Amino acid sequence: MAARSAALKIDWVKVTSSLGLRGQTAASLQAFKKRNDDARRKVQLLSEQPQTIDFAHYRKVLKNQAIVDEIENQFKTFKPATYDVSRQLKAIEAFEAQAVQSAEETKGKVEAELRSLEKTLENIETARPFDELTVDEVASAQPEIDEKTASMVSKGRWMPAGYKERFGDMSVV
Amino acid sequence: MPQLVPFFFVNQVVFAFVVLTVLIYALSKYILPRFVRLFISRIYINKL
Repeated sequence: MAARSAALKIDWVKVTSSLGLRGQTAASLQAFKKRNDDARRKVQLLSEQPQTIDFAHYRKVLKNQAIVDEIENQFKTFKPATYDVSRQLKAIEAFEAQAVQSAEETKGKVEAELRSLEKTLENIETARPFDELTVDEVASAQPEIDEKTASMVSKGRWMPAGYKERFGDMSVV
Repeated sequence: MPQLVPFFFVNQVVFAFVVLTVLIYALSKYILPRFVRLFISRIYINKL
């Protein structure tokens, strides 16, 4: 009973729209909803049908009493077949636990990525234009500059390759 | 002119050596590396 009431409470449109489901997930959810609706309709239809049989009426109408007796006997001894679904339920629970765990993992990953993206965005937004930067700031942002400087100085070279072509030669001689 | 008087030649040579040494040391250790660093930074910024 609890399961049915839970199924009744689901707002299917909201599930699809709020979770932003797309493609195969949305399709399988739709299929599941259809299956649920069909089963519910079937139960509704069957429960509306009369569940008692007036055997006295049939005894009066039919000449063959034996068959009525037999059917009545069968009807009284009929018991709906019961299925043991605990294994399936257990499997579903395990699957759910795994799904929740992987969802948590994904959530953590996404949050970390979001934090780093926000940091990057903040960096971009608070960045100053290049003409307001000092050499020290540029070098601290790109340690390669200091390494290259050290290697050039140790080799006794004082003019980086391609500098004059780009910025012009200011020397008089 | 005093620089042409032989008495001051040793003094001049000593001071020339000291001044040149200090100049070369200061340039190669402090001044020129700053320029190189500045040039490399300019190239790097222009590449961005």
